[in-house]
Amino acid sequence: MLPELTFNIDHGYLEGLLRGFKSGILKQADYLNLIQCETLDDLKLHLQSTDYGNFLANEPSPLTVSVIDDKLREKLVVEVEHMRIHALQPLAGFLDYIKYSYMIDNVILLITGTLHGRPIHELLPKCHPLGTFDQLAAINLANTSIMLYNAVLVDTPLAPYIKDCISAEDLDEMNVEIIRNTLYKSYLEDFYNFCKKLGGATADVMCEALAFDADRRSFIITINSFGTELSKEDRIKLYPRCGNLYPSGLKLLGECDDYDQVRAVAEYYPQYKELFDNSGSNPGDKTLEDKFFEYEVHLMKKAFMQQFQFGVFYAYVRLKEQEIRNIIWIAECVAQRHRAKIDSYIPIF
Amino acid sequence: MGSLFRSEEMRLCQIFLQTEAAYACVSELGELGLVQFKDLNENVNAFQRTYVSQIRRCEEMERKLRYTEKEILRDKMRIPDILDNPKAPAPKEMNDLEVEFEKMDNELRQVNTNNEALKQNHLELRELKEVLDGTQTYFAVYGQDIQHMMNEETQGHEEAIIGTRSQQTAALGFYVGTIPREKVPVFERVMRFVTHGTVFLRIEEIAKTFEDPVTGDEMHKCMFLVFYQGEQLRNKVKKVCEGMKGTIYPVPESTQERQEMLHGVKTRIVDLENVLAQSNEHRKRVLSKAQKEIRAWTIKVEKIKAIYHTMNMFKVHLNSLTAECWFPVKAIDDIRRALSIGEKISGSTIPSVIQPMVTDENPPTYYNCNKFVKGFQNIVHSYGVSTYGEVNPAPYTVITFPFLFAVMFGDAGHGFIMFLFGLFMIIKEKSIGSKKLTNEIANTFFGGRYIIMMMGLFSIYTGVIYNDAFSRSFNIFGTHWYPNLTDSELRSSENIQLNPMFAHKNSSAYLIGVDPIWQSAKNKILFLNSLKMKMAIILGVIHMLFGVCLSVFNHLHFRSYIDIFVKFIPELLFLGCLFGYLVAMIFYKWIMFDASRASCAPALLIHYINMFMFKYTSPINGELCDPNLTFYKGQDTTQYIMFFLAILSIPVLLIAKPVYVVVTRRSRAKKSDSYHPSDPLIFNEVPPEDSEITLQVYQNINQGFQDDGHDSFGNGHPKEGPTNGTAVAVAHDQQAPAQSHGGGGHGHGDEETSEMIIHQVIETIEFCLGCISHTASYLRLWALSLAHAQLSEVLWHMVLSLGLTVAGRYVGGVVTFVIFFFWANLTVAILLLMEGLSAFLHTLRLHWVEFQSKFYEGEGYAFEPFTFRRILRMQSLEEVTS
Repeated sequence: MLPELTFNIDHGYLEGLLRGFKSGILKQADYLNLIQCETLDDLKLHLQSTDYGNFLANEPSPLTVSVIDDKLREKLVVEVEHMRIHALQPLAGFLDYIKYSYMIDNVILLITGTLHGRPIHELLPKCHPLGTFDQLAAINLANTSIMLYNAVLVDTPLAPYIKDCISAEDLDEMNVEIIRNTLYKSYLEDFYNFCKKLGGATADVMCEALAFDADRRSFIITINSFGTELSKEDRIKLYPRCGNLYPSGLKLLGECDDYDQVRAVAEYYPQYKELFDNSGSNPGDKTLEDKFFEYEVHLMKKAFMQQFQFGVFYAYVRLKEQEIRNIIWIAECVAQRHRAKIDSYIPIF
Repeated sequence: MGSLFRSEEMRLCQIFLQTEAAYACVSELGELGLVQFKDLNENVNAFQRTYVSQIRRCEEMERKLRYTEKEILRDKMRIPDILDNPKAPAPKEMNDLEVEFEKMDNELRQVNTNNEALKQNHLELRELKEVLDGTQTYFAVYGQDIQHMMNEETQGHEEAIIGTRSQQTAALGFYVGTIPREKVPVFERVMRFVTHGTVFLRIEEIAKTFEDPVTGDEMHKCMFLVFYQGEQLRNKVKKVCEGMKGTIYPVPESTQERQEMLHGVKTRIVDLENVLAQSNEHRKRVLSKAQKEIRAWTIKVEKIKAIYHTMNMFKVHLNSLTAECWFPVKAIDDIRRALSIGEKISGSTIPSVIQPMVTDENPPTYYNCNKFVKGFQNIVHSYGVSTYGEVNPAPYTVITFPFLFAVMFGDAGHGFIMFLFGLFMIIKEKSIGSKKLTNEIANTFFGGRYIIMMMGLFSIYTGVIYNDAFSRSFNIFGTHWYPNLTDSELRSSENIQLNPMFAHKNSSAYLIGVDPIWQSAKNKILFLNSLKMKMAIILGVIHMLFGVCLSVFNHLHFRSYIDIFVKFIPELLFLGCLFGYLVAMIFYKWIMFDASRASCAPALLIHYINMFMFKYTSPINGELCDPNLTFYKGQDTTQYIMFFLAILSIPVLLIAKPVYVVVTRRSRAKKSDSYHPSDPLIFNEVPPEDSEITLQVYQNINQGFQDDGHDSFGNGHPKEGPTNGTAVAVAHDQQAPAQSHGGGGHGHGDEETSEMIIHQVIETIEFCLGCISHTASYLRLWALSLAHAQLSEVLWHMVLSLGLTVAGRYVGGVVTFVIFFFWANLTVAILLLMEGLSAFLHTLRLHWVEFQSKFYEGEGYAFEPFTFRRILRMQSLEEVTS
């Protein structure tokens, strides 16, 4: 049977709902208004007229950026949780995959936090609510990755991801980074295969998105690894093997020693070449990170062009994340009265 | 002019307000609720408007009020409704309110923090008490065995991990604490993974529930006892407990000490409870003070906010504000009064000024409906708000709507129930209305209570006409059929045919409605079908003709007299000659052919078809009786005339109007050049002048406007006061758009012409085809009425009469009693609700499509005055924000 014919039986409601949510994403005109704000209260007043509505109405008047951040995030979380609760398989599994990335972030956040000697009950509220799970609380016991596996991850969906880097070594910052990247690599590959297995339009859209995510990680890992003690062999293990760069591009990346060589690798891939060409570190130039974000937004918007597929759910979460980053950027600029770079947000629609 | 027949006359005016008087004036206008302000700052961001800081202060106050309201509701205190309407306080009082709210808010928050701390303390103490109790019993029961049990439990694991059994030298330590019940499985699991099962964990549920100090929710907790050996395990256990939101309590090792501690805890709990009670008392006091006032406060703050929101729509000059607003002309005196009160309140010395403006913008449509008409007006407006000045179908709908409904719903019994239901809602109007229904369906019914009552009333009437109540007929006045039959005749056959020639008293008929004898006739349906079908056509044609006639009033009002000749008359001819004639034939047949000439009665359908095919068979000797023969003298001539009149009116409809418009446009174009250099670019613009001079001039104009009364509104020539440069400019400014409006934008003639021709073609086709399909559409009156009658008859025969035929006085009574329940329920559910809804929908369609398409445009927009009434109706602040 054509999956399109039966898609709406199980997932039609949620897709409709989601497309409704999507139309609430701030437009360019909204951003133009936002950057004119003088104070955070102005920002609040303007956001009131958008889909965010009264989300800040119950906050006492001297607003802070962190309050806005919390509330923005809370709104996204409520939406995603609502969809997750109403979802049927395989969409439910798909949405869970989206949440896994937040779980990884939380695990890493807590480990880093405990490494710096912060008490766990102070760190827990900082976790992203989409990625909390009960076992997280025991994370301060994890001195080694074995302990991390045993105490925290063993019966969570993340457990298979960590199997590549279990060791009895004490956790230090380097280790944490490796764990993060390994987790993420395995996660991306797993998610990629999951989407592939779903097939149809979902696979079309999601594989492209995840491949981009994988490639971005590979580039960033490479660039960030210069000047650290990470060896090339270790580095190559961290590259997610589901992107467009796999296999030959990753091999080339693994041999890079400086930024120019990375750029040379990107030359082979037209979509990345453009990103590298247009970025720079001079004032006025966009950073490579921003270019990646821009490209991601472009991909995610494209995801909405197809119906009867799950890619839109992923795309919505990513776009919303970008929107939150944008608003927070503007809010920070407003709050710190540093307006010179206020317009370097990444417009979505 | 009747206020329901057409929209109230509306005027666009500018109001010039002194800055200091603006607040009070707007407040008064809000109480009046007859003025719709236009947003003059559309392109200004919300946060860049003039009074944004005041609005922000209001929002801050709202936040505090919301918090207080939430606290009041959390304590399950009621917020009393207030009946009087507190006025918006003066801007000065806003500060007082702010201070008061601030104080209240602070006080409440302080009390709450204290309370929370106390409650937290109390919770911990109670938990400690439970824990101590639990530990005490546990040790009492197992005391000596613990070491042994632990060994047994952990033995296997330890061996697996360490290989050999460790020494028993390390003393047994234990932790006691509580953990939320839902965390228990995770807690157990994590504990096991972390310690590899080398600790001895016991968990027991605490029977008592605890109260969450912050939210006040009920919490279930479990108590845990962990026995461990050695320092390392101790740390691990402690970390797990911390991570899982467990609370560890320092429980001493010896029984004696525990006993003492338990005692101490008990006394402290008693103390704490005293303090808590006092603290609660204080909180109650604070809240009850707010409880009485909070509704009034809410309304006040909302009013202030609404006023500033409105003032944000005004244009700001040096020391005055300019507002543009629509209002009904009739209300001008009220508005003036309101403004003067506002001035008096604010102590402003310079009066505000109302100055009429002329604009080519369409005014909003406003009907001053009472609650009876409102429902019907809403029915009309759901189709489209009437274009300003056009005839409002609502007053006619008041009668035609329930009537057409009743034709389909014709049953006196069902109608009576419906009438009672409507009447009940009307009698209980006040108490239901004040309760504010949350159920959307119930709200819809309540909103249409007058419609329901009217529909019920009319259904009783049509029910009487159909002689139908719960599908039974009543023989009240005595049937006029006299079947004088002998016994043998009765016995001879099952079916006896009554010949109306002999068996009916032909000089008179049954007094009202259908003769009850038809109830028992086999051909009842045939008889009723013929009656109802013809009736449907008659009613439909009358309804449509009425609609066409109403269009005359529109043409007269909009002064397009030509339309009477090129639109109304051809339409009337078309409809009248084709379908009016059909109706006439129906009446002719009814009146002229009785039982004695039954065989000569013409077949109307055949005759009507033949009219279009020009087929006439005239009687040879005038003696022959055949349904297909012409049935009156000169029938063919009449029908030819009718037919050609109708056909000829089509080209008139099609061509006359465009030709007329093109011709007049040409002649006008010859007369005047198409462009006036004096035409202003922006119509509503008032030349910015030195404010003082302008103001004086405006006052003069205002004076003139007052003197002139409504006339100066009409033609847009305010009397020019003492002539002054600015006054002329203003007057001229108003004149110009009026002219160019009358001229009707002759810049782009060709496009408009072709557009108009296409429009005309579509309209003609729509009307002509529409007449035919609409007439057929009215047959739904017959169809639904038939369906309703049949359904109720089925229900009678299949359900209730079954019960009635069961033999036995006593058994039958019980059976009937039970069966009546089903019958009554089915009657209400199927016949009243379902059939009622379907008949309602069909009536709606008949009005929207068949009736209103004949004259109604519905392209206006509703008048939405700035009014405080909405604020009064709301229950709490949540409504405003949600």
